[in-house]
Amino acid sequence: MRIRGRNHLAWGAGAVMSFSLLAATVGFADDKGKDNDAAEAVNTESPIKHVIILIGENRGTDHTFGVYKPRGKHQTISNILSKGIVNEDGSPGPNFSEAQQFSVKAQQLFYIGAPKKAKTAYSANGQMPQPNTNGAPIAQGTTGAPFTPAFLALATTLDPSPDFTPNTDTILTTGFTGLPANSLDTRVPNAGILPNGPFILQGPNISDDDYTGDTTHRFYQAWQQADCSVANATKANPTGCLNDLFPFVMDTYDLDDSKTPAIQKNFSAGNSMGFYDAEQEEASLLKTLADRFTLSDNFHQSFQGGTGANHFMLGTGDAAFWSDGKGNAITPPANQIANPNPASGTTNKYIADNSFSNCADFTQPGVAPIVSYLEALSYRPEPNCAPAHYYMLDNTNPGFYPNGFQAPSPAAQAMIPASPVRTIGDALNDKKISWAYFGGSYNDAVVLSNEAVTAGTAATLNSSTALAEAALADPAHSLGVAYCQICNPFQYATSIMGNAAQRAAHIKDTVDLLADIQNGTLPSVSFGKPDGLLDGHPSSSKVDLFEAYVQQVLDALEAHPKLKASTAVFITWDEAGGYWDSGFIQPIDFFGDGTRIPLLTLSEYSTGGSVNHTYADHVSLLKFIERNWKLKPLTGRSRDNLPNPKMRDDEPYVPKNMPALSDLFDMFDFDHRVKQPFLE
Amino acid sequence: MALTSAASVGLLLMLSASAPSGAGSPERDFSADIVKRDAAGAMLGLPAKLSVSGFKTRIDTPDAAGGFFLTDSAAGTAFFIRSAQRLYVDAKQSTPLTRIFVRVEPRDPCPQWQAAAEIADSSSRDKWQCEPTKEAAVIDPVLHFPVKWRSPNGETVVLENIRIEAQPPDLFGIPAGYHKLDPQALIERIKHSDVWAPGNDAH
Repeated sequence: MRIRGRNHLAWGAGAVMSFSLLAATVGFADDKGKDNDAAEAVNTESPIKHVIILIGENRGTDHTFGVYKPRGKHQTISNILSKGIVNEDGSPGPNFSEAQQFSVKAQQLFYIGAPKKAKTAYSANGQMPQPNTNGAPIAQGTTGAPFTPAFLALATTLDPSPDFTPNTDTILTTGFTGLPANSLDTRVPNAGILPNGPFILQGPNISDDDYTGDTTHRFYQAWQQADCSVANATKANPTGCLNDLFPFVMDTYDLDDSKTPAIQKNFSAGNSMGFYDAEQEEASLLKTLADRFTLSDNFHQSFQGGTGANHFMLGTGDAAFWSDGKGNAITPPANQIANPNPASGTTNKYIADNSFSNCADFTQPGVAPIVSYLEALSYRPEPNCAPAHYYMLDNTNPGFYPNGFQAPSPAAQAMIPASPVRTIGDALNDKKISWAYFGGSYNDAVVLSNEAVTAGTAATLNSSTALAEAALADPAHSLGVAYCQICNPFQYATSIMGNAAQRAAHIKDTVDLLADIQNGTLPSVSFGKPDGLLDGHPSSSKVDLFEAYVQQVLDALEAHPKLKASTAVFITWDEAGGYWDSGFIQPIDFFGDGTRIPLLTLSEYSTGGSVNHTYADHVSLLKFIERNWKLKPLTGRSRDNLPNPKMRDDEPYVPKNMPALSDLFDMFDFDHRVKQPFLE
Repeated sequence: MALTSAASVGLLLMLSASAPSGAGSPERDFSADIVKRDAAGAMLGLPAKLSVSGFKTRIDTPDAAGGFFLTDSAAGTAFFIRSAQRLYVDAKQSTPLTRIFVRVEPRDPCPQWQAAAEIADSSSRDKWQCEPTKEAAVIDPVLHFPVKWRSPNGETVVLENIRIEAQPPDLFGIPAGYHKLDPQALIERIKHSDVWAPGNDAH
């Protein structure tokens, strides 16, 4: 049943071939247009005149670089190999027990620091929840990913998206499980008897070219998985987050064990403990980039939980809140308000796994444990929760459709009303600095949105549902459903999305990013987000598909040396996707930080295979932009007001001046320039 | 609204698909060229080929090289067939080749075409006007088919060289072994990603 992917030793060749049509279309032949590069004339703090921030989905640092060994001279990395948790081959190492996971007896209320007496380590092999196929595709399909070659041929003809080319030998056709949904993932070596800790996603039947079962990644679940308590604090881990409840929370937050038999609706099981082997040709493109440029091993998702809130933080340094659409905070409908307290008679089944909380109100379910913990920390970070504001903690579609249509009844449509929160786009506009958000399949999503407006569904349905209905009526634009609305922080904003001129100027598709590179019209600041097929998200995408997306952009830049010379490419992820990680976490406010995620910094000033340890998160990218283009922090409450960390010599991952966030300038050496290809 | 030759084909698709289902065959077999002209009468682009047999219509147009359209108003279907890929898709409204090859769902026509469909089925009238686009068409009472369409800017699409003759049945069938592309599975896959955020049901 299994169709093997391409030889990862020769990774680049296949992917380049897959996207050759696009390259031919755009024409990466010369550097014409660069002389018209308006961004070159803008005064900047550094030689960097362009940044491109590419954002994948749902991969953590240990998950991706857990057994990575830095190539730079005298470089060290904090990962499960360096800590002795695993050996080079991914097998349990001498300190494997440092990663052991626990179950917790039923408690009365939601908690983020489980009582020690209530915790029990999974003991025998196989007792920890095991990897599960969950919703990963079970077979190659004629109508859905992983696609048949015939589908790709058709899609290429109907849709010019860079997702598809006529090449029928493509990684978009490989990686189905061949196993039943929601079953033990027997592709994982020793599945069923895995010991208590991280396990490698590599073997004769599984690699980074395979779809794997997802694991839930939501706000309250993530806090609970981190298991943070000052009672656990040590010198090396002064915030006391143990990261030892990952499979347990997945196994219980939606488990109704008050009934016999128990009713399980979530099959994430032990998927959170899987990791790839970058030293054995998994994530090989990312590994090559780390070898040649600079990797951060202390970069974090800025928000506990999932996609929408993390992207919003990336664009604003803040959290979204429910409003009247005119900037005034109001209470959302009851069915939007979270209650993570355990249902009666259950171990840990959340009463209402919803997406909004008023975190200024201690009496709100789930709030007190987090705020109490923050107050107990030595540096007492402010929760940063304004009174009567219900903040978006989990994925909620923006109040605007991709075409700018504003949902008339956001409460009924389960869409957050138009946001007044200032974005980095607004700040760049104020200084007349060019910028754009390039979202994969955005153009198709606009077509579907127009059709949804015409059909009347845009006025009544959630935008995910309305676009899906439009796609069924319009197969050739169906890729529009793969455009990620919640990933675009500007789609929430009235100032951008509610203004047709702003939309046209700044909200674009991947094809436009490639064209801008080709034409010498790349903005000063670019955000690049692949669509749902290429974003690397487990279950719906794969690591190598995100790598293919990255390579498209790098190949385009490589063909334009002048542009490349003044461009920094940051490659990161929205969050770790619920994958376990061994790294230090610095709580900054009620919303995060969360788990470590990789950040790769590519430029002629960040070469050599270095590993940077300075504490950073998504908002550090804002800080880089603001420092480089001489902007002020976005608002009085946004996280970009935080100082740069002063790192401790004895504990290089813990800032002395918490809370603090790097502006990433120390990932560059602007006195040392090395011209080299992105890839060998 | 600019009139494209592709849009004119869409119009024909709509009207050809709007004959009353359940009624007997209109016993019309004919072929014609679909010609687009500007307001001065000059031909625009290359003509398309129209074939009609009863409730079935086939359109081969240079605007969609590599494929052809089939409609069957009795069956309530309209497809675009990609021969090279041995696949076909629903040719629904404002689709791919986009807002171009529009077709009205015969059993649920959109309002602005409802009146046109009704009039096209009537032999007592030969003209209709579609609000709000102000497009106008001439319906041939014998063929029960539009033979001329005019856009507000004066461009026209006209059936020329109409030949009333039997049409080969195999022109109107989906070749054996072809697969239908349906976006439903794509949607199902996307539901497993974070792209999908339809509200409280999605976790």
